[in-house]
Formats: sequence, structure tokens, C-alpha cells
Amino acid sequence: MRFLFINHIQNAKQSLKSNRMRSTLTMLGITIGVASITAILALSGGASKIVGDQVDALGGNVAVIRPGAPSDTPLSDITQTPNQQQFAASTLTENDIDAIEKIPNVTSVAPMMILSGAVKATKSAPVNTAIIASTPELAESNDLTVQDGQFLDPELSPYTTVIGPQLSIDVFGTEQSIGKMVNIRGQGFTVIGVLKRTNNPINYNGVDFDSSVIISRDAGKSLNQGTLQIQQINVRSDTIGSLDQVIIDTNKALLKNHFGEADFSVLSGDQIAEPTNRLFTAIAGTTTAIAAISLLVGGIGIMNIMLVSVAERTREIGIRKALGASNADVVAQFLIESLALSIGGGISGYVIGYVVAFGVSTFLPFDPVFTWEIGAIAVGVSLVIGTLFGLYPAIRAARKDPIDALRQYD
Amino acid sequence: MAKTNLPPVIVLKDLKKRFGIGDAEHYAIDGIDLTIRRGEFIAIMGPSGCGKTTLLNVLGLLDSKIEGEYELEEKSVATLSSRRQARIRSQQIGFIFQSFNLINRLTVIDNVALPLIYKGMTQLARIKQASAILHNFHLGEREYYMPHQLSGGQTQRVAIARALVNNPSIILADEPTGNLDSYASHIIMEELSDLHKRGNTIIMVTHNPRLTTYASRVITMLDGKIATDTQTPTKKSDGDAKRPLGKKKRAKRKKEAKS
Repeated sequence: MRFLFINHIQNAKQSLKSNRMRSTLTMLGITIGVASITAILALSGGASKIVGDQVDALGGNVAVIRPGAPSDTPLSDITQTPNQQQFAASTLTENDIDAIEKIPNVTSVAPMMILSGAVKATKSAPVNTAIIASTPELAESNDLTVQDGQFLDPELSPYTTVIGPQLSIDVFGTEQSIGKMVNIRGQGFTVIGVLKRTNNPINYNGVDFDSSVIISRDAGKSLNQGTLQIQQINVRSDTIGSLDQVIIDTNKALLKNHFGEADFSVLSGDQIAEPTNRLFTAIAGTTTAIAAISLLVGGIGIMNIMLVSVAERTREIGIRKALGASNADVVAQFLIESLALSIGGGISGYVIGYVVAFGVSTFLPFDPVFTWEIGAIAVGVSLVIGTLFGLYPAIRAARKDPIDALRQYD
Repeated sequence: MAKTNLPPVIVLKDLKKRFGIGDAEHYAIDGIDLTIRRGEFIAIMGPSGCGKTTLLNVLGLLDSKIEGEYELEEKSVATLSSRRQARIRSQQIGFIFQSFNLINRLTVIDNVALPLIYKGMTQLARIKQASAILHNFHLGEREYYMPHQLSGGQTQRVAIARALVNNPSIILADEPTGNLDSYASHIIMEELSDLHKRGNTIIMVTHNPRLTTYASRVITMLDGKIATDTQTPTKKSDGDAKRPLGKKKRAKRKKEAKS
């Protein structure tokens, strides 16, 4: 039986070789499908990974508190616009910040209030420039460093600001902007520091620090009719080991503040990256579904060619049956042939997919990922396609009446 | 009539094969009773459409939709699964066709090795066995030729080699010389006659009455029935089983192959 299988493979190789052009074109259908799926998965994996990597890079002792109850149904998050919560009044309050600061082992608590509005100096900043109102602890909790000047300081006037290097270039035309005035929502602010470039446009804070302005909490409050609208609180514990206890204590403290209502979520590790990942998963899912259509077309191509091949080789089928091939032998012969087409296409698609992914990633802030899952998906999908679309032609071949088959002249 | 001392290989009782339905219904084989014993060389004659080839297909288990009884080596064929029938075709039956039926995209040796595939032999063993039999047929130098590069006689010898590579006990030949000139026909018939002498059962369908001289028994069919069934007292059927080829004959064969 084993030799029979090897022989079927040799046979398939020979038969595909004898129709080289046709086999290549058929394989191309699967190659394109698998290549697009591989590229999409590799890139979306890379995109998801970068947020996780940032969390890891911070040392694994970071927890993030966001308003709103933790959601158990990831699908509802996908269907909602990701920024929806920014428009809702936050459930987090200044009392919460005070409560968290009192928790032992907490080294820094940085609330983040993200405002939108006009930022102007010599030139206007891009419309969606983020205005982050926070405390000096933000620098520590997010590993932000200034390349010029200093970070926020409660001793200084509230109308001072630290700006990202890209924003500095956008509004002043230079990264050297200390002492210059920038107009934020109609209020003048003095630039006291310029951040060092982070090059992380995608991160769990939802803002690109390179092109945002950071103002003090009080200034933020005054720009927002005297209320603080906290989108996120970044908490850092002194050690990784104490983070779990900090999270438990934070939950307790906030529950007490919120009268027992769990209308907030305390996230750590992978959970922080999850909302971003969900978005990428949703995008990857949709694009993969579209790529799957091309795979379906490729599969139909295989079926078509296999049917042609069966019709062309009717006489051969008759001869083989007369010489002792059983129906199962004939099915195996043609099925292996279609599998050879689809797996060949799958492997070349996997390789081409990564070439495309690396090509595309030169324009993107992240690299494609290599995981065994993507390889397994590429091979698995090709196997399924080959079997699914090869089975009918193979069964049709096996069902041919040997006498009729022998009568057909080629 | 037949040699009753040998066991029957094939027993047919009131065998019928029907084609078409309703008005178009037609019996290609219309009630045949026949016993074929081991070692017989049977020539089946008859006009076109009398059911010769149909009978051969039934005997070769290519057509199992039959009425009546067909016992192959004392086993009713009706009880055999299609897989079992395929195995019998692979191990006990060798087919020789009028149109040779080699697979054109395979080399001569691959064509000859084809039946061994379904026995589950390794590639090396297959090639060895196929090569040995091709040498017996003086086609050793043509092993890696493609079928279209051979003459008609050579092609049919390859087809016979393929039919014999499994050492089948029954050889079914459907007008094996139908597409050949008289010289090539003669060589092929000598081969068959030789096989017969070595103990094989041969059932041959032919149109050519001259070829019946090689047979030990001649059956003529008419309208799906057996018209005559005669034992031919021919000097060629001396029943000397498994006699190796003589030196003289081998030399003669070589000469022929070279020409």
C-alpha cells in the first residue's frame, strides 16, 4: 500500500510534468490565494505584535485603567467604532487617581485626558493632533524622554507644554522650539520641552506622542470647562511581582469609589494590547475572507483542470482498470494529482506571500511575523482545497466503466 | 471434447449479457454454457457483433453486470466485491488488446511494469521484473523507447509482455493480430503458442480462421450463442507445460528481433 502511494506520487509528478504549462497556471490560482492570505496574516500579526512588544518593553509592570466595564464579547467591540468611548463621558474621576496613588507599590499614576482641537503656531498642526492633558508621571509611566528642555512640572505655570518632535516640525518648521508660543484651542502655551522621537505611531495609548502636545492636567481641565475627562490611567508598580497585587488593590479601591459598580477595567499585559489587536484581527479577518474568494477561484481552476485531465485520460483509466487497478487506486491517483497542484501552489504562495509582506512592510512601521500558525494555515488551506476540489473529478474517474473507457481513442 | 482430467478454470452456466432497455433491449450473449479447463488455448470465432468481445470482457471481469452463473476457479464472480475483482484482474488475468492499449506517455518498461504497481511492488522490483520479461521478448534494447517509436509487431509484443509480467494463469487476447501484417502476426501467434505450451490458459478472439490452427479448441459464436465447439487435434498443443525455449528457437528469435 505504501509503495502504491509512492507510485501515485511519482505518477502525479510525471503527469503534471507532461502538461507543464497547464499545471503551472492551475497552481498559480492557489499561489495567489495563499500568497494573499499569508501576506495579510503576517502583516496583521506584525501589527498586533508591536503593541504587545511596547507593553513588554515597558518592563511588564504596567497596568492600564480604562473607563467602561470590561467586555466579554469581543465581537461587539469590533462592530463599534474604536474611539466611541472617547466621546462618552468617562467614568474615571480625579478621586480615582488619588485613590490609586495611595495604593502601596505604585510608583507612578498618569491620567490621560485626550482632547482634540486646533493647535497653531507659525503654521497649523494637522487637524487630528492629540492634546494630552496629564501629570508629570506620564513621562515615567510611558518611558517618555525629552530631547530638549524639560517635561511638565507642577511648579511651573499650567500654560506650559511639551510637544512631540514631529509636531514641532509641523508647526514651527524645526525641532528647536523651546520658549516659543503655541496656540492650543485659542489659549497660548509656552513650549518648555520637545520629546525624543518614539517612532511608535501605533501604541496602546491610542496617540502618537511624536505629533501630539502634552499639557498639564489643570490646563486640560480649564480647556474642558473645568472637568477632567480621563480616557486612561497608566499605573506602574515598582516590580513585576507586585503588579498583580496592585491590580487587585486598584480594583478594590475603584469599586469602592464607584459604589460597587464595575464601570471601569484594569488591564495588564496582553489585555492592554487587546483592543488594538481586535481591530487588526477584524481587519485581517475581513481581508482574509476576500482573499479566500481568490482561493475558491483557484480551487475551481483545479477542479476544472482535473476534469479535463480525467476526460483526456479516459483510455488510460480503462487500461489501468483492466490491468488490476481498483476504484480506490484510481481515486487515489487523481486525488494525489490535485493535491500536488494545490500543495505546490500553497508552498509557492507561502513564499511569495512573505516576499510581498516584506515588500509592503518597508512602507509600514512594523515587520511581518513568522509563526508556525501561518505556515500551517497555508498548507492546511491548500490540503483542504486540493481534496475538496479534487475529489469529484477523482470519483468521476474511478466510476468510469472500463469497457467504455477502453473504447475511447486518444 | 475438452480434456476432462484438468480442473476447470472458468465455468459459465446460461450466461446472458443484455444491452439497452425496452424496445432497444438486445442480448449480446444469449445463454452460453461453457467450461474452460486449465491449459486450454481457445480461439473464439464468429462474425462481427456475435458477442465475442463481450464474452471476453465478461470473462476478464471488466463487465460484471451479467445474468446467469460465472464461476472463476470454482468461485462465483457475483459474490466478489469490485476490489476483489480488481485484485483478480491484477494477479490472475492478463489482457492483450487489438489496439495494444499502451499508455503513450509512459516508456515501454513503465508500461510493462504497470500491472505490478497494483500488486504493491517497489519501483526497483517492478523495473527488474519488467526488464526481465522484456528481455525474454527480445525487447531489451527498446526498454526506454516510447510506444510510438516501435513497430506494430514490437508494440504488440510489449503488450503481451505487460499481460504476462504478473504471471497470470489466464490470458485473454482480443484480436491480438488484428492490426498487424502477416509476418508480425506469425511472430505474435508463436509467442502465444509458446505461452500455451508453458501451461497458460489462453482465450483468444479472432476473425482470422488461419490462426485457429494454433488453438487447441475452436468455438464459433453466432448471435450471442455458441454455434460450434470443436477440439482441434493440433500438433502444437502437445500439453508440454513449462518447457523452456530451445536453443534453436532462441537463436531464431534473436534473429527476428534484430531484423
